[in-house]
Amino acid sequence: MACTVNGRDVSLDLDPRESLLDMLREQLALTGTKKGCDQGHCGACTVHVDGRRVLSCLTPAVQVAGQAVTTIEGVAGEDSGLHPLQQAFIDHDALQCGYCTPGQIMSGIACIAEGHCGSDDEIREYMSGNICRCAAYVGIVAAVRQTADAVRNGA
Amino acid sequence: MTVADAPGTTGPPLDTRRVDAREKVTGRARYAVDRVPENVAYGAWATARIGKGRVVRVDTAAAEAVPGVRLVITRFGPDELHDVGFLMAGGHAVQSLQPLRDDRIAYRGQPVALVVADSLVAATEAAQLITAEYEEEPFTVKIGAEGAETVLQEQAIPLPFLADVKVGDAEAAFAASPVQITGTYEHPAQHAMPMEPNASVVHWEGDRLIVDDTTQNANAVRFGLATQLGIDPADVEVRSPYVGGGFGQKNAMHLHLGPIAVAARRLGRPVKMVLPRPQVFHLGAFRPNTVHQVRLGANEKGELLAAIHEVDQQTSRHDLFPSEITTVSSRLYATPAFRGEQRLVRTDVQTPGFMRSPHESPSMFAFESAMDELAYATGRDPVELRLAHDTPTDPVTGLPFSGRHLAECLRRGAARFGWDARDPEPGSMTAEDGSAVGWGVAAGCYPGGIVPVVAHLSAVADGTLTVGVGGHEFGQGLRSAVALLVARDLGVPVDTVIVRAGDTRVAPQHLTAGSWGTASALPAVQAALGELREALDVPASGDVDVAAAVRATGRPAVAVEATTLAPGQSRDDLAQLDKGVLAIGGPVYPEFVTFSWAAHFVEVRIERTTRRIRVPRVVSVVDCGRVASPVTAASQVRGGVVWGIGQALREESEVDSRFGGFLNTTLEDYPVPVNLDVQQIDVDFIDEPDLRFNPAGVKGVGEICMVGVSAAIANAVHHATGRRMRRLPIRLEHVL
Ligand code: FES
Ligand code: FES
Repeated sequence: MACTVNGRDVSLDLDPRESLLDMLREQLALTGTKKGCDQGHCGACTVHVDGRRVLSCLTPAVQVAGQAVTTIEGVAGEDSGLHPLQQAFIDHDALQCGYCTPGQIMSGIACIAEGHCGSDDEIREYMSGNICRCAAYVGIVAAVRQTADAVRNGA
Repeated sequence: MTVADAPGTTGPPLDTRRVDAREKVTGRARYAVDRVPENVAYGAWATARIGKGRVVRVDTAAAEAVPGVRLVITRFGPDELHDVGFLMAGGHAVQSLQPLRDDRIAYRGQPVALVVADSLVAATEAAQLITAEYEEEPFTVKIGAEGAETVLQEQAIPLPFLADVKVGDAEAAFAASPVQITGTYEHPAQHAMPMEPNASVVHWEGDRLIVDDTTQNANAVRFGLATQLGIDPADVEVRSPYVGGGFGQKNAMHLHLGPIAVAARRLGRPVKMVLPRPQVFHLGAFRPNTVHQVRLGANEKGELLAAIHEVDQQTSRHDLFPSEITTVSSRLYATPAFRGEQRLVRTDVQTPGFMRSPHESPSMFAFESAMDELAYATGRDPVELRLAHDTPTDPVTGLPFSGRHLAECLRRGAARFGWDARDPEPGSMTAEDGSAVGWGVAAGCYPGGIVPVVAHLSAVADGTLTVGVGGHEFGQGLRSAVALLVARDLGVPVDTVIVRAGDTRVAPQHLTAGSWGTASALPAVQAALGELREALDVPASGDVDVAAAVRATGRPAVAVEATTLAPGQSRDDLAQLDKGVLAIGGPVYPEFVTFSWAAHFVEVRIERTTRRIRVPRVVSVVDCGRVASPVTAASQVRGGVVWGIGQALREESEVDSRFGGFLNTTLEDYPVPVNLDVQQIDVDFIDEPDLRFNPAGVKGVGEICMVGVSAAIANAVHHATGRRMRRLPIRLEHVL
């Protein structure tokens, strides 16, 4: 199986049952992507495949052959600073334990790109696939809104 | 949003943002199983599919034939895994029953075999292929059902703090009361479900066992494994620097740790194990089902003459998980007579345990619902009735409270919420879209505990300060509170302070729970700061140029240590810490009694046709002493409020007498609040230091913020509908 992960070429021999999540974590040691349920219920494992958000626990790794995978380790710019949404999560304290956070940020970036940030309620709805048991929801909505507004205003 | 506050000193404003946020938003924070050691093997449990009985035979042939399987273990010898004991009975484990030590099956979901394989895929496949023959026995999963066995807690566990509460003759006073409120309230079993499941990776370096585990109690893991494996605790190292949520579910040693340590030794390889989410529902603590009988006696003006709170709380067949339900209901209001009785009911489940405000939030659901009933029965405003029962002294001991600003919480909350505009008549308020509107209030209190803590503080010549402290960080903000204390004290930037927590290499790691983590750690760090100032030969207060002061000593670094205890504790309690045993002080201290306090105001809206219940806004005002870390404390309160919403409207661990075990064991079937469930949450703090309690003036915040929320929601639903909600969760069928 060959794909790119965060812009790097990756080629691996895989069990066809291995999930993209386990491939990232156990084969590539990209452990920023988290396992919350392994059943598609929590969103902790959210990554981007060709720019779309997917649940990596439900995605067989072999299925991303030839595609571009982006994880939390790959969202910051070349200068290894922070993505604006990462900075907004820090500024709004949109996290507590941090375990759901990589998945929230991957979903948030996609939510902004999808144009689902028209209102706070729309953000809430399109971020509801990502459970935060610490319940940092108020901060998450504020961080996504601020970043979406900045994008819209051409910042 | 504010990211800075006025410093206590002359330096620039302090950055009060969460100190470990950057690691978390970049994915660089290392949680327990974010380590992928070379040649690691993966463990998986196969679990029992009966409600109770004995295993006659386990068929492992198919599992062993799976390529990559290295070990299938169905039984450990008594010398391989010794008894560890239940945390609340002086041991270290989540329960006394360690699977795979005999043929007994105490509950559905208990492990019957451990598989270890080269890959997770192989381990999972093999575990699913394991079948067993059983001798089944009748079982009981409900506290009211036949076969459930009730014991009086006071007799079963003769410890003073678990005894019945008796103030005056409450029965006689109740019988003589002109106004009597009697209600039975039921709180369901619930599971904490931190986002990070229980997970560990272990390996041996010669005779040393190295453990990465997700835990709130690295000491329990260390001493538990030492006991279980018959090795020296000094040879067990436990690291848990980042924990993906705990909520009490990670308070004790989990059951897979000993088995994978044995497997790692047998294979000579590291072993990693992550519990699948459905197994988390059967292998760790849960909040037990409770049934509360509350009786309030009052005069016609609503003045309390007697309060009686009797509780039946579920426990397991093999352990007694103690109840502290009446610890809080007996402290909330001035009452001439109070009687609290706690009964434990044995059922065939794993041993229940702690889940955020474990006893206090169910207690307040029942008691504060009854207070609302009293307000309606006597025509008093619910806020004003509560204010009328304020008291500066503890009704149980007669000692003063070290700090009690509950009245201020209620007044301030009422003002912020706009309580004055409330029409008390149930069903009288309607939104523009036709939804029924209800406004409810409830208060809560939470015991103020303190445990012994050791803090190490070192300063190096480049000005960097490192704190190694007893205490775990699981999102509550311990690291931030410690870093802010050091930065404020010395007048240095927060980012020059490195805080190491949750690691047995840096300090003994007492259980971090019960909201005592920050209140225990900060006094130790404060004491260490005093030691450091002496060692650096700088004045006892004021800004310090740390780099210059270190250089002036002529040494590359200066390191100090301090240990603090709870008021009234002695060296014996410290010795307990060194043995890995709990040593908790409070809430009753020799000269005072300490609780945190909160008032919650809630608006619910019930849609006209669907009857869906929403919570558009909550106002919570908390007295947690001085607010040590404003940003993380506010997040704690918002999180606690959402937990209250889940408790009131969503969460129930369901059982069925035909099957045993829990039924809804996924995050889909066990619905926790999601983003769309949460709207406006307005948080305020009294922020008055409680200096009698400890020199840092801080009390717990992470649990009090949830206590009373579910009662406020139930009271708001009553206000919207005229119907009393005496059972949680409240679902739309209850408001049809
Ligand atoms: S781990 Fe993939 S959705 Fe939960
Ligand atoms: S920050 Fe803990 S689960 Fe979201």
